[in-house]
Amino acid sequence: MTVDVIPADLQRVEPSYRNALRMQAAVFWIPVFLAALVADRLLLADTPVGSLLPVLVGLIGLSGITVAPDRIYRRLGYALDGRLLRTVRGWLFHTDTVVPFVRVQHIDVTRGPVDKMFGTASLVVHTAGTHNSVVVLPGLSPERAAEIRDAIRVEIADAE
Amino acid sequence: MSEAIALPLTDDALGPPERLHPLYLLTGLGKSVKGAWGLLAGAAVLGAQGRWALVIGLALAITMASIIGLLIKWLKLEYRVGRDEIRIDSGFLSRTSRAIPFDRVTDVDLEQGPIHRLFGLARVRLETGASAGSKEEDGVLDTISLERAETLREHIRARRRGEKAAPIAQASAEAPPLFAMDNQRVATAGLFNFSLAVIAGLFGVSQTFGDVLGFDPFERSFWIGILDRAGPLQALVMAHQIVAVLAGSVVLILLGIGTGLVRTALREYGFRLDRTETGLRRRRGLLTLTDVTIPAKRVQAAILANGPIRGLFGWWTLKLQSLAMDGKKGDHVIAPLAHEPEAVAILDSFGWPVAPAADAWRRVSRAYIASYAAAIGPPGMFALAVSFLGAAGLSVIAAVPVLGIVAVFWTLAVPALVAIRWMSWRHTRYALEGDTLFVETGWWRHRRRILPLRKIQSVDLAENFWSRAFGICTLRLGVAGGGGFADHHVPALSHQEAQSLRARLLSV
Repeated sequence: MTVDVIPADLQRVEPSYRNALRMQAAVFWIPVFLAALVADRLLLADTPVGSLLPVLVGLIGLSGITVAPDRIYRRLGYALDGRLLRTVRGWLFHTDTVVPFVRVQHIDVTRGPVDKMFGTASLVVHTAGTHNSVVVLPGLSPERAAEIRDAIRVEIADAE
Repeated sequence: MSEAIALPLTDDALGPPERLHPLYLLTGLGKSVKGAWGLLAGAAVLGAQGRWALVIGLALAITMASIIGLLIKWLKLEYRVGRDEIRIDSGFLSRTSRAIPFDRVTDVDLEQGPIHRLFGLARVRLETGASAGSKEEDGVLDTISLERAETLREHIRARRRGEKAAPIAQASAEAPPLFAMDNQRVATAGLFNFSLAVIAGLFGVSQTFGDVLGFDPFERSFWIGILDRAGPLQALVMAHQIVAVLAGSVVLILLGIGTGLVRTALREYGFRLDRTETGLRRRRGLLTLTDVTIPAKRVQAAILANGPIRGLFGWWTLKLQSLAMDGKKGDHVIAPLAHEPEAVAILDSFGWPVAPAADAWRRVSRAYIASYAAAIGPPGMFALAVSFLGAAGLSVIAAVPVLGIVAVFWTLAVPALVAIRWMSWRHTRYALEGDTLFVETGWWRHRRRILPLRKIQSVDLAENFWSRAFGICTLRLGVAGGGGFADHHVPALSHQEAQSLRARLLSV
């Protein structure tokens, strides 16, 4: 009945996840910036707000690529003991999720193209809940992700 | 037909192939005509243009096409009932053979529309829980004879029970109901069910199309026509537009109440809830009878709902959140209008509490109100300040007259909104007693959620940049089943409180 039932020793994910985040942000923001540039040249060039749009979009995009990945990485962590998986994530919108192993329905380890480039993987845990039924823990090394998956799987098998 | 699929299964494990009742051609007609609503709309347009020959032709074509479609469906649908499973083979161009093991069937629901009842037929739905999230239904036998439906249901129940004999079910069918509603109760429920949406909709329609339809109770001409023979009243309406407006409002409110009454009566007439050996059985309906079973094991949460007016009279609506959906409407309503002792009796029948001890309730943080007021207040202040500056003669800002109006509305609305927020704070509280969590939220839409800890799938603590500034967070629970929008959460807890509550929730 004490507070330390929940594992508190949060572990960081792989440092290379920062670069993966940067890559993802760049893939999103560069086309947006180009679109803003084109729209500005075609539509707004002669108005008093000319070249304001690409400057704004550029600044937001740049901060999204440089500042945000660091913040997101610093606030992303996970902890697990023999019974619970806890994931903590989010900068502006912060979520701290705890899933008991016995409630897990199935587990995925996924790797997208960006993940492969930077040597990371995501652990995706599915529960039966209608809300928060999918808990994602990104930025793990593939070995670590597989290790956690196996640990949870053993727990599920034991429970039955 | 079924050889086309050629599944390796010996026929002696399954019963003989059966078809739906031939009257499926009649009972299915309504739905398939409804499906052709595009054509119906076309017919309505033609009708409005007075080209009746075309309309009749179109109607005949729709009916013919529907009947032919239904005939093909009927010819191509076969089902076979085996000892352990049911097989439904269906489809013309793409054939499907669906096998549903009885072990996985959780509910056997019967539904009887007016035509079904006239001919002693029923629509059977086998619920497996696989469709909890999706719209598709599991196993539907659209029209079979009621007798066959009853034997099928008994067959599936007997299979699930193992070797226990049928008389138990017979005995429980004779037992007094767990909860029932007489006509007076149904009418009372209907009164509470009056729909503001209907009133608003009718108001909109009468204002938009009133001239065309000759129905605008807010116009004097409408009442003058009706009150033709009642001299003094007509004079009154002639004299005062306000009387017409009042009378119009009364008419709309009466219509809203009437709609609620009729809808409720159609749905809830003869409401009866029974305890069966595995769960609850609900029967209700005036024209369309439905007969639904809810296995107690599958229930994930209980929800008691009311509003300020129902709360005043001590009425509650009791719903169960289950893995299966109630038709497409989400949670199963097992008592549309009940007093608390009745709700206690229902939930007690499968061992759930209704309320914790009175001193176990705990309020949430007052920051629930403060964070809200701080979010909506300042923009209003800003608009107000700007418009004052405008009045003081700063001509640049005074060029925006809209701001002044916005500011006035805002300054009126903010106190009202904050007051509503305060009311809902007063009605928000939670309690953890034994292994059940109770959460009450909301004032206008008041809900008490009863959540057994062993049904909680995951626990989130969520905060954002705004709530962080007020030191509060939301504890959100993952629970299986239920509709898409109604999540279970405790708002505005301090971090320390939220963490200790979460630890206690997960310590089971």
